[in-house]
Amino acid sequence: MAGVTAATAHRRRAHGASAGRPWGVAPTALLLLGAIYCLFPVVWVLIAATKSPGELFSTSTLSFGTGFFDNVAELFAYRDGVFWLWAANTLFYAGGGALLSTAVSAVSGFALAKYRFRGRNAIFNLLIGGILVPAVVLAIPQYLLFSEIGLADSHWAVLLPQILHPYGIYLARVYAAAAIPDSLLEAGRIDGAGEGRLLSRVALPLMVPGMVTIFLFQFVAIWNNFLLPFIMLGDDGKFPLTVGLYTLLAAGANQPALYNLILTGALLSIVPLIALFLTMQRYWRTDLSSGAVK
Amino acid sequence: MRANRLGVLAVALTVTCMSGALTGCGSGEPAESPEAAPATTAPQGPVKLTYWTWAPNMDKIVKAWNDANPDIQVTVSKQAGGDDAAAKYLTAAKAGNPPDLVQAEYQHLPSFIAADAVADLKAETDPIKGEFSEGLWNLVTLGTDAVYGIPQDSGPMMLFYRKDLFDKYGIEVPKTWQEYGEAARTVRKKDPKAYLGTFSSKDPGAFTGLAQQAGAQWWSISGESWKVDIADEPTKKVADYWGGLVKEGAIDDMPYFTPEWNKALNDGKLLTWPSAVWAPGVLSSNAPKAKGKWAVAPLPQWNAGESFSGFWGGSSTAVSTKTPNKAAAAKFATWLNTDPKAIDLLVKEAAIYPAATAAQSGLGEAPEYFSNQPDFWQQAAAVSVGARGFTFGPNVGVTFNSFKDGFDKALQDGTPFSAAVQAMQDATVADMRKSGFQIAS
Amino acid sequence: MKRSQKGAWPYLFLTPAIVLFTLFLAVPIAYTVYLAMRRTRVSGLGLGKGARREAFVGFDNFAAALADAELWQGWLRVLGYGALVLVVMLGLALLFALLLDSARVRLARFSRIAIFLPYAVPGVAATLLWGFLYLPSLSPIRAVLDVDYLGATTVTYSMANVAVWGGVGFNMLVLYTALRAIPRDLYEAARLDGASEVQIALRVKIPMLTPAIVLTTVFSIIATIQVFTEPTALRPLTNTISSTWSPLMKVYRDAFVTGDLYSAAATSIVIAAISLVLSFGFLRVVRDRAFREG
Repeated sequence: MAGVTAATAHRRRAHGASAGRPWGVAPTALLLLGAIYCLFPVVWVLIAATKSPGELFSTSTLSFGTGFFDNVAELFAYRDGVFWLWAANTLFYAGGGALLSTAVSAVSGFALAKYRFRGRNAIFNLLIGGILVPAVVLAIPQYLLFSEIGLADSHWAVLLPQILHPYGIYLARVYAAAAIPDSLLEAGRIDGAGEGRLLSRVALPLMVPGMVTIFLFQFVAIWNNFLLPFIMLGDDGKFPLTVGLYTLLAAGANQPALYNLILTGALLSIVPLIALFLTMQRYWRTDLSSGAVK
Repeated sequence: MRANRLGVLAVALTVTCMSGALTGCGSGEPAESPEAAPATTAPQGPVKLTYWTWAPNMDKIVKAWNDANPDIQVTVSKQAGGDDAAAKYLTAAKAGNPPDLVQAEYQHLPSFIAADAVADLKAETDPIKGEFSEGLWNLVTLGTDAVYGIPQDSGPMMLFYRKDLFDKYGIEVPKTWQEYGEAARTVRKKDPKAYLGTFSSKDPGAFTGLAQQAGAQWWSISGESWKVDIADEPTKKVADYWGGLVKEGAIDDMPYFTPEWNKALNDGKLLTWPSAVWAPGVLSSNAPKAKGKWAVAPLPQWNAGESFSGFWGGSSTAVSTKTPNKAAAAKFATWLNTDPKAIDLLVKEAAIYPAATAAQSGLGEAPEYFSNQPDFWQQAAAVSVGARGFTFGPNVGVTFNSFKDGFDKALQDGTPFSAAVQAMQDATVADMRKSGFQIAS
Repeated sequence: MKRSQKGAWPYLFLTPAIVLFTLFLAVPIAYTVYLAMRRTRVSGLGLGKGARREAFVGFDNFAAALADAELWQGWLRVLGYGALVLVVMLGLALLFALLLDSARVRLARFSRIAIFLPYAVPGVAATLLWGFLYLPSLSPIRAVLDVDYLGATTVTYSMANVAVWGGVGFNMLVLYTALRAIPRDLYEAARLDGASEVQIALRVKIPMLTPAIVLTTVFSIIATIQVFTEPTALRPLTNTISSTWSPLMKVYRDAFVTGDLYSAAATSIVIAAISLVLSFGFLRVVRDRAFREG
């Protein structure tokens, strides 16, 4: 662990020194330093999750504790296993939301990138403009509107507002523009393929790596979203993990925060994201140019 | 214009949902239980109530009620505590779908009342009024004729101290705040790394309690106007006392409840904590290694021989104005906070200090963390008698926020604490004026 | 395929996005504007039924937001903080993306996931995490570099570090995805011409990446203006961050702590307007390059 600490400290020096050097181990070293910088605090969560409540604030920050399995057992037993319910909810929100979001983004991005039509830029700017309004601001009006139609405190109230994501549409547009050669679409049209068929058979397969990125981003964003579900949901049986874990942290006036459970829960909630990332990243290796007709 | 938009929204969403149901989107959630759906007005069958609370293990306590009352079934929804929990309830009330029952901290109750979000339970609570001390009852009536909640727990303040280290350094338990200050200086001399205590600029509740002990009366109602007097003499006295100790370095200025504070408690670098009766729960969770080393005493006094205290924390059970089952909700809330069996469960499972007077004196065994002090609850009951509170105003959020900003700044810039108190007063009055509250000058 | 039929397709493809935009952004935004022009009016004690009503106040809330000195100080703080974050975060993101894309680097998959991982750490955990890493008595980094990370001036850097840590992986992936969309044969041509990897990166990759860099910058500008999580997370640990440190913190405070939804709505519209001006101003400067695709 001391090595990790030292490496973090030397990060800046290494950055400066390697910039002008000839190619060798320098790129790998730079990248690894970046990885260590990003990983170090995550490693801390891992270590902290192994500590029993007594060890958390009394033993050295970077030494492993002895309470990991107790923490896990306690977390799973908490309120009759409500952790699993929260995890299932989160999976539903993030999985469903990201899937729908990717579909909407890909189709929109394709249309914006590969068609010329009246209002194209206006629509694009409008959709992208959505990112200008902070989520903190939207949460309460969205809640009031969902209440108005009787959908507040339902799974829909968390799922639906998170489908549209300006960033996803932007990425899909840029990606479609770069990855789908016009010549391929024209060739398809000459062969008599309809636009819908071009989308599903030509465009979407070429956009897979971009869609994977969008899915991943949206999945992680919904997985970690706090404010919207916090406002929308009253029933603790519909909470996602973030809101659920928050009830452990802000355990109420004068109730101690259950740090060991929160840290263990946070660690466990990162694990599916890592698994997702590992399964998804093979799609990035697809060599885009190989399939393209020039 | 607005109605049109909403109409469109409603139609569009209904369509979305129907198509979603057709394609099986709704079945993607295996964990959803059928009874989680809001109860549509069933003509017969039990009354169903929802209850937002953050008290630990409330499910177990409510289960006892549900087993005994098949006609009134209560569902607990465990929420996060704190200021944004209050905001969440207010938003839900504004939107028209609040829970039937809600746990309301005393300082948030006035803003709930002002938003017309909690029902008047005067008729329903008449028989149980006598079970609570007048001071606590005032917190749920605000001194008016109405009753807006039933007191659940209370937090009379006491002084928690490290008995082992007091003995080691030869310090007597301070009886007055002057002695506390001297003890603070002694600690600095004996161990330059340790402090007798710390002033937290993040916990307005603690400061409120200390001001109450000194006799502060931040809000009061006279006739049809509010009287706001946050920068009164007792409060300024308290502020300047702590400001002086911080400035001379006799006590620390780290906030409570941070990881660093936890560590200081564990390491014996903080020797006292002027806290409330619920402190054992926090200490046992955050400083488990120091078990048996802490002891409790009454708060130091401003004048020798007095026995005053203040309140830090405490909450009530309130009933929403929107509930169709007010009587049933009031019945449950009454049971929860006055029935001996329910209170016994509250104490054991939720680790609260009950508000009901009889229950306070009936507490037996000391908390496990304080097993070295068998008279813990007797001490608490004695302190409770001298604890004085005040009516909270309708915009405590503004006041408490201004406390944090003002004292943060005072600590950072080294400016007098009484100036921060004045800033609290000014911010509170300005906000009330802006909304149009009648304020007596 | 007839021309007229093809003309309707892009609109059809964009329908889901436009419907979602209308329902979950446009309507709530309109509602926010509506709220921003209202205010609670209280009579007497303000207790009980009918003592409190909503009234139309026109642009009073906007006027108050614009005249608010705290808000402008917040803008100044965010400006300094934002410049720091933008340069460091996007610089590192670009560097890492280029390194990942270069054929010579080892352990690319490990580094990719490691650098992205912080994005997956939920806010609840990040709060605890950085608290532990910055606070004097617990910090392992303090053993290396002993400064007060939460002091009056250092706190800005500490916050920027959290933002960079959390955001670099996301931006790296955006740029990396865009890089993967560039046809490989362009590099081959450059290599045949004798260009080194560095030259390819500077002369081929970065110009091709410009649209993505521009848009990541715009999105990062907006995200920085909306900075909220980092100062809010660190605030309980230090007395150097006020409740109005950033403009969005003031919005949150008004809406969730002091119960003034109307001021929060007005302030948030001001924030959105300033975001719009800044981001479109930036876009205008680089416009020709940003949308050169297609």
